[in-house]
Amino acid sequence: MVATQTHGHHSKPHAGHGPESELVGLLAEFEDQDALIDACEQARLSGYKKFDAYSPFPVHGIDQAMGTRRTMLPFFVLAIAFGGVALGVGMQWYANIASFSPIFPGYDFIISGKPLWSLPANIPVSFEVIVLSSAFATFFGMWFLNRLPRLANPLHRIERFKRATDDRFFLMIEKNDKQFSAEQTLDQMQQWGASAVEPVKLDLTDHKIPLSLRRAGLVLGLLLLVPPAMIYRAQHATNPAPRLHFMPDMDWQYRFGAQNVGPIWYDNREPKYFFQDKTVMRLPPEGTIGRGALTTDIELFRGIKAGTKIPDPTLVPQPAPAVAGQAPAAPVLPLEPEWVTAFPAALTVDQSMVERGRDRFNIYCTVCHGYAGDGNGLVNERALELAISSPIQKGATSNAVWTKAKSLYDPTVTIQPVGRIFDTITHGRSTMGPYGSQISTRDRWAIVLYVKSLQAARAKEPPLVTPAVPVATPAADAAPAKDAPGSSIPASDETANKSDSPATDSKGN
Amino acid sequence: MRHKREAKITSPVISLGDDSYRLMSIAAFVGLLGIGAALLISLFLGENGGFKRFSYGYLVNFCFFATISLGALFFVTVQHLTRAGWSVTVRRIAEILAAAIIPLFVLFLPILLPTIMGYGGLYVWNDDGWTTSYAGHTLTAMEKLKGFYLSGGFFGVRSIVCFVVWSLMAWFFVGNSFRQDASGDVNITARMQKYSAPLMILFALTLVVAAFDWEMSLSPMWFSTMFPVCFFSGCVLGGASTIALVALLLQRSGRVTDEITIDNIQDLGKLMLAFIVFWGYVEFCQYMLIWYANIPEETFWFKYRFANSGWRTLTIILLVGHLFIPFLFLLPRTLKRSRPFMIGATIYVLAMHWLDHVWVIMPQFGFDGKDTAPFVLGLPELLCFVGLGGLFVSAFCFIASDRALVPLKDPRLGEALNYTNT
Repeated sequence: MVATQTHGHHSKPHAGHGPESELVGLLAEFEDQDALIDACEQARLSGYKKFDAYSPFPVHGIDQAMGTRRTMLPFFVLAIAFGGVALGVGMQWYANIASFSPIFPGYDFIISGKPLWSLPANIPVSFEVIVLSSAFATFFGMWFLNRLPRLANPLHRIERFKRATDDRFFLMIEKNDKQFSAEQTLDQMQQWGASAVEPVKLDLTDHKIPLSLRRAGLVLGLLLLVPPAMIYRAQHATNPAPRLHFMPDMDWQYRFGAQNVGPIWYDNREPKYFFQDKTVMRLPPEGTIGRGALTTDIELFRGIKAGTKIPDPTLVPQPAPAVAGQAPAAPVLPLEPEWVTAFPAALTVDQSMVERGRDRFNIYCTVCHGYAGDGNGLVNERALELAISSPIQKGATSNAVWTKAKSLYDPTVTIQPVGRIFDTITHGRSTMGPYGSQISTRDRWAIVLYVKSLQAARAKEPPLVTPAVPVATPAADAAPAKDAPGSSIPASDETANKSDSPATDSKGN
Repeated sequence: MRHKREAKITSPVISLGDDSYRLMSIAAFVGLLGIGAALLISLFLGENGGFKRFSYGYLVNFCFFATISLGALFFVTVQHLTRAGWSVTVRRIAEILAAAIIPLFVLFLPILLPTIMGYGGLYVWNDDGWTTSYAGHTLTAMEKLKGFYLSGGFFGVRSIVCFVVWSLMAWFFVGNSFRQDASGDVNITARMQKYSAPLMILFALTLVVAAFDWEMSLSPMWFSTMFPVCFFSGCVLGGASTIALVALLLQRSGRVTDEITIDNIQDLGKLMLAFIVFWGYVEFCQYMLIWYANIPEETFWFKYRFANSGWRTLTIILLVGHLFIPFLFLLPRTLKRSRPFMIGATIYVLAMHWLDHVWVIMPQFGFDGKDTAPFVLGLPELLCFVGLGGLFVSAFCFIASDRALVPLKDPRLGEALNYTNT
């Protein structure tokens, strides 16, 4: 049980065998461990190589007596343990910060204010993985080196050998050892103090797995398919039953909403509050501005020249709503502030900003204004179509109204200073909705730059920004298109669809 | 034919003999000289000096040698508790080291007496002006509890109880072992085994009290229930290393050459390896919990050990030098079976154990009560080491005198002599 097992060869059990079967080796029984150690030493000194010792407990010193080489298992375990460290640390690293992964991304959860990746939190798991992998490596490495598991061993057919797990010590010398000779080995064993010597015969019993076990195995294998089948079914079925709540106190937590007022707990029915004003959290001190929320740069955030007078917005008269298909009513020009005519100093006007503007423009603006800015986006075209063909529209009462999206090359637009275009994007104009809440300030400016670039390209003016490598804008590619009314969709729409944006889906909205 | 060794002592020299008296007087002289020099230098140091500095240096080294002695006492108790056979030949050295806890009681007086008399330089809780406040907040709930527990008188009572328990334990195990040398009575072993279990429980309880009192109460507003476990891991590590070192040095001087086999040394090496890892494990347990909870009352203790570059360097030295390096060199079997190597290894591990106590105690010296402590380590600590080390060696020689350094008639002597390691 201590040393490596050198085992005899297996020969096939032949049919029609007699009681005589092939000799595998000789088994000597000893009364105590010292006799076994002595016998092992004698066997080694006599030149035997293929022998093994069996004892009920580990016997110190038997390795040297048998001449067993030191096992390589520790190095094997060490290597696996280092692998375990790498696995444990890597697993946590991946789970905690690998949100970049396109499939199976990590979590990026900040837990109790700790950094996403901090070693102290990862040491316990890494340590446990080392212990687990080392234990497995030791246990299964021992199996592997001892060529375990074996289903049968001829020794197990010997009645006497059963005491190897109780109070007897055994030494077996195999027949295929070069030194082995049945008579001489028997003599030697008796000289070494064996209390009994017994021949070990090849086990001739049928070593096929019994039919009952095979059937049980088949049934078990089939049963193992049940859980995956249930999982598959569950994934493709709708369950009307409400979900189970394993931890109701986590699903429905006792907590306060931000800025609520109320007692934190009751002490003998007397309400207790955190703060004197009974709120559950403190209000920020007056005048607090969050990080990145300082909007004092009026040129950047409003598009208005610094130091100029800003008219009271409540006095701004609202323009009359335009009706589709008709010439817009003469606009009542509001009292406007003084818009900036150049990009605010806080911005770096360069090619990457143009690209950013194109990107944002294609996402937010093209649906109405079209990719080239001709005011012929798909939504616009479809809405006009509906508005014209709508029976309601033809009747007296009309609520299907659509104001045609403006072409960005309209002279009323091209003359606008950048600040005003920025303001239009931010707050909306006429029936155009405000985008200030959806698009960040710098992105809005980028869109303004892109719009200005489109206009410059159409007017064959020098570009506002000289690209390092000439970049073909859609407007430059497009054949100069007229302000298209509803009927002349094709030409400009084709140009629009040529551009690199994802196919615009015009159904629905 | 393989020969089984008889349960008989075969070494020509098995005791210190007359050398013990010579060594005892030299060591005692060096020791007293060292302590005197440490006291003098501390008093003349000025800013970082005074009796306070001497007390700190003395406490570091007292804890170092006391943990060695307590580790040896644990070793002796656990051998009886497990009815171990392998360790019989090295058990006598452990017994002598354990018995040194009795003279160490006398050496504890320079800490105990000033504290009882109300000196608050070492333990701030003993200072009249000290209150249970930290960083502007007063822990009123602690006021009564700490006021009761951390008082000079009760500290003295606890210390005396601890030392009495340990002394009785040592006296019981060592006295019986010496008696067995003469009589060979097997019943003595049976009796020691019987009492080892309750004594082990007493040992654990008193060790916890000692760890809280001696070291943790230096920072009375800091709580860590892991602290006694860390202290204990240091005890066993120091004990096992010192037993191995003493055994190896005795063999170099031509004593007990036959009885203490390389297998014994290897096993002590295994024990050292185990407690190197255990030390790292429990120290990290303590650090991890405090790091994770991130409560200011607890984190400040680590903060001022990390803030100052000197203490931070020492922290890293301990992490690498007390855990990783000895783990690597104590792992291979061949190194643990080399006597010259193990002498170096035990000295190295003991040096790290000393630094461990420095790391726990010394940052408290200049702690400003908030989050910084200047790096203070120098001659007074080293001189105290020489002083207490000399007195410790002297105590060892006094107890050993011309007694046998292996149990002569232990019933498991044969088992130990024939023990082989895998």
